[in-house]
Amino acid sequence: MLPSKYTFLLIFFMIAGAKQGLAQDNYIVSGIIRDSLSGESLIGVTIKFSNRTQNGTSTNAYGFFSYKLIPGVYTMTVSYIGYRTLASTITVESDKRLDLTLTPENNIGEIVVTGEKRNDNVVGPQMGLAKINLNEIRNVPVIFGERDVLKTLQLLPGIKSAGEGNSGFYVRGGSTDQNLILLDEAPVYNASHLLGFFSTFNSDAIKDVSVFKGGMPAQYGGRLSSVLDIRMNDGNKKEYTAEGGIGLISSRLKVEGPIVRDKSSFMISGRRTYADAFLALAKDTSIRKNTLYFYDLNAKANYQLDEKNTIFLSGYFGRDELGLNQTFGFDWGNATATLRWNHLYSNRLFSNTSLIYSNYNYVIENFIEENNFKVSSSIRDLNLKQDFQLSLSNSHNLRFGLDMVNHRIAPGSITSSAGSSVNEETIERRKGMEASAYVSDEWEINDKFNIVYGLRASSFFLRGPGIFNNYDVEGRITSSKSYGSGELVKNYLRLEPRLSASYLLSEYSSLKVSYTRNSQNLHLMSNSTASSPTDLYIMSSNNVKPEIADQVAGGYFRNFNEDKYEFSAEVYYKTMLNQIEYRSGTDLRGNRNVEADLLYGEGRAYGIELFVKKRFGKLNGWVGYTLSKTERRFDDIDKGIWFNAKQDRTHDLSLVGIYKAGPRWTLSSTFVYNTGNAVTFPAGKYQVNNQTYFFYSARNSDRMPDYHRLDLAATLEAKPGKKLQSSWSMGFYNVYARKNAYAINFRDDPDDKTKTQAVKTTLFGIIPSITWNFKF
Amino acid sequence: MNKRILPYKILQNILNCAALILICLFPSCEEVIEADLSKADPVIVIEGAISDQSEFHRIKVSKTIPFDQPNSFNGVKEAKVTVYASNSQTYSFTATSDGVYQSQRFRGVAGVNYMLEVISGGKTYKASSIMPSAVRPDSVTFKRLTILGNSRVYPSIYYKDPPRIQNQYRYLLKINGKLSADQVSEDRFSDGNPTSDLITFEGKELKAGDRADIEMQCIDRNVFKYYFAISQIDGNGGPPVAPSNPDSNIDNGALGIFSAHSRSTYSLTLK
Repeated sequence: MLPSKYTFLLIFFMIAGAKQGLAQDNYIVSGIIRDSLSGESLIGVTIKFSNRTQNGTSTNAYGFFSYKLIPGVYTMTVSYIGYRTLASTITVESDKRLDLTLTPENNIGEIVVTGEKRNDNVVGPQMGLAKINLNEIRNVPVIFGERDVLKTLQLLPGIKSAGEGNSGFYVRGGSTDQNLILLDEAPVYNASHLLGFFSTFNSDAIKDVSVFKGGMPAQYGGRLSSVLDIRMNDGNKKEYTAEGGIGLISSRLKVEGPIVRDKSSFMISGRRTYADAFLALAKDTSIRKNTLYFYDLNAKANYQLDEKNTIFLSGYFGRDELGLNQTFGFDWGNATATLRWNHLYSNRLFSNTSLIYSNYNYVIENFIEENNFKVSSSIRDLNLKQDFQLSLSNSHNLRFGLDMVNHRIAPGSITSSAGSSVNEETIERRKGMEASAYVSDEWEINDKFNIVYGLRASSFFLRGPGIFNNYDVEGRITSSKSYGSGELVKNYLRLEPRLSASYLLSEYSSLKVSYTRNSQNLHLMSNSTASSPTDLYIMSSNNVKPEIADQVAGGYFRNFNEDKYEFSAEVYYKTMLNQIEYRSGTDLRGNRNVEADLLYGEGRAYGIELFVKKRFGKLNGWVGYTLSKTERRFDDIDKGIWFNAKQDRTHDLSLVGIYKAGPRWTLSSTFVYNTGNAVTFPAGKYQVNNQTYFFYSARNSDRMPDYHRLDLAATLEAKPGKKLQSSWSMGFYNVYARKNAYAINFRDDPDDKTKTQAVKTTLFGIIPSITWNFKF
Repeated sequence: MNKRILPYKILQNILNCAALILICLFPSCEEVIEADLSKADPVIVIEGAISDQSEFHRIKVSKTIPFDQPNSFNGVKEAKVTVYASNSQTYSFTATSDGVYQSQRFRGVAGVNYMLEVISGGKTYKASSIMPSAVRPDSVTFKRLTILGNSRVYPSIYYKDPPRIQNQYRYLLKINGKLSADQVSEDRFSDGNPTSDLITFEGKELKAGDRADIEMQCIDRNVFKYYFAISQIDGNGGPPVAPSNPDSNIDNGALGIFSAHSRSTYSLTLK
């Protein structure tokens, strides 16, 4: 069933290669690094040993590290941004388990002279990886004052916002559904609330955020353009704490603490908006009866059974609720759950087993008697993952594993009561399974040359029951076949090589290259300009082939001024196959023959991304700039010429500054500028039935006006020393009230029907926000 | 102007309302701007219909004009317009004014395939449309609908949808003689049922004494898809899609639509 032949050959090859490098009398130092105050394990901590020329190691997603040393006395330095560097002398005479803690720096402005290099960004072979520091998320100004991981990410080069105030994003020319968004490994299908204005991620509950724009390691797969890996907080193992915030349109609360001190902890974090509270102020009773809000809940618990076994259980539940005066109801949301078991087979072999559930659904109800109905739709994943990390030697770090996902899509089911004009109907469910195996090796070839290479083999199986049609190019059914339950309809196998390498030019600079192939078997059907809770996902099938992307990238990385400044320049070129659009006039809703109306084409994207970041000091922040091009080509659109994808923006600039003005004040500011999206404006007009119709020529050959905006925020901490710590956050979105175009529409002039006019809609003027945050 | 009625029709309203509630909390605005638009070469537009009424049927032939010109019908003279019917009839159309071509009086027949041929500027444009069997309304009334505190009266058409046949409907609403709605609907979710379709329109609310003229057409599938595509550009039935010219049933790159349809008309006055 699995393409195991290749995979295991590769593993054997790697092990064989690595074995030669093994010395005889090595001992292994391993352990978990945690925060000294909360007991949270820390991800990506750098660990180095004196009199080793090599780069040392870093902790994995569970805080675990493992390193091999010949007997001797070493100075071990453990460093992590935002924490005091720990240096200690260790004597290695046997295998050693070292569980250590790091103490957070009091405030981010503190200048810490460590003498220790913080140049992982230069040295590490990984390319296309961006990390967002939670302090940055906390301080960057955002709309409505609602801290947001996804909106902070959009300020990085190569990552673009899907629209004003929108949490959707495009990475290197990909579309929004080509991002693999993982919350504690569970895929999140609709990562936004309230039509995109808020992301589903409550930043209180988040510990670590990594985004891969390219060069994804082989353990990730299933989406073309990026991986956003979000890890939730484990919960404070030392003491009970509560923190929260009260804002203008939402409030949040997080409680965490030990279940068994130092062994087990929990974290629960909730958030609710009350935009509809404003409706209660309305005079009209029928307005007051409307509801519009969302809430979400993150919860996590862990239990360290012993040094070798830890169990984690985490979950997310979020829902948007919309109700109109008992006439209509509409609600949608995600639910995810992840059960994980960390196990150390030995101090060199780390294992994680995850059982993952993810569900997204929506329900629409119409209560009007004569045409009442209820529509429900869902997409559900059940996922079993097994990951191994094996430190073969200090120069070979091997990862391999299996990933099995069971997808079930219920496109739509309509129910109605007797007497309704709406018939009951259910669109057939679709069932598919993705089974993947991967292996990758992080290989330190010598002091200068590092490489991560691997292979992911992804297979997809579409299974019955159901009736599956074949269509001709015009969308007519050419044949139809009924399949029994579990019967194989179609199978695809894709091999995805991954490679990322770095060559150190000096201590402070390096060159990197990467090549990545990704494939995707779940496709979002959306031609629209905005995301909608009712967007439809379909699977690869007898008609729809897996999407494939190949990306090559190269970059120059340089740190300045003792790693205080970080600079990178990356170029990329990406091709995409089997891209999907649908014919004009296609109704996706309740459509059992969606595949009849699909068009298949290709895409290409290329660009250069420049990034300068000041990492420490009173003032820090970054400048990101992207120059890029994104195009698509479909045989049936504009006679097969290349046209601009809607997310094509030539220039994209972001400036972020965070300034620690004093012991209590933090000021921050962002400025963004980008070329307007590619759009299609009328190239003429004509009359049908005495109404004005517009004539469109080449697709996306026009431009929205340039977009720019300045945001400011300030945080004032209360005087320290009290048990209750509190702070005020104030912000202004769009400070100079730029009237950015959200949409440009064309219509007859209402005052003079003989003329037509272009009308620009601006969504937000200047928007103030204020939030009171507390912690005790 | 095109509004569509379906079980899902409500969704659009809901989304609009949600956006509205959010946006109402903050200042947002609309302003007329100068848009820098490209000018394409003129393209031929053909619009025509054969109805099941005994009347002079019309085919209009025109060309597109630039966006910044005043709205006008840019008629094409000296086109040769003929309709061939699958019941062996041939109808020649003669010009009555620039770009308007008219047949002799005849009645279209359900089930007949009407094939339009327009020859103009050395090019031949062809289209065909099969006239569906007529579905006539049982009654037409006014109905009050309240959404988000906004209570309005709309005309509502009641009819019995024929079972096991795919039907498409188009409604044209004139209020006090002025075209106010042009919308399409289908029986995908209500096949064979007694159905009521609401004809929604924007603009002024109806008041006592206002007269509504409603035309109900039974149209073929291609015609429906054409009008549905037009309505999608306006963001009907979901977020707005990237605009493009709707697929026309006329070949050779012509814009517009040719429709053989049944037609029933009703008038009523709000009391």
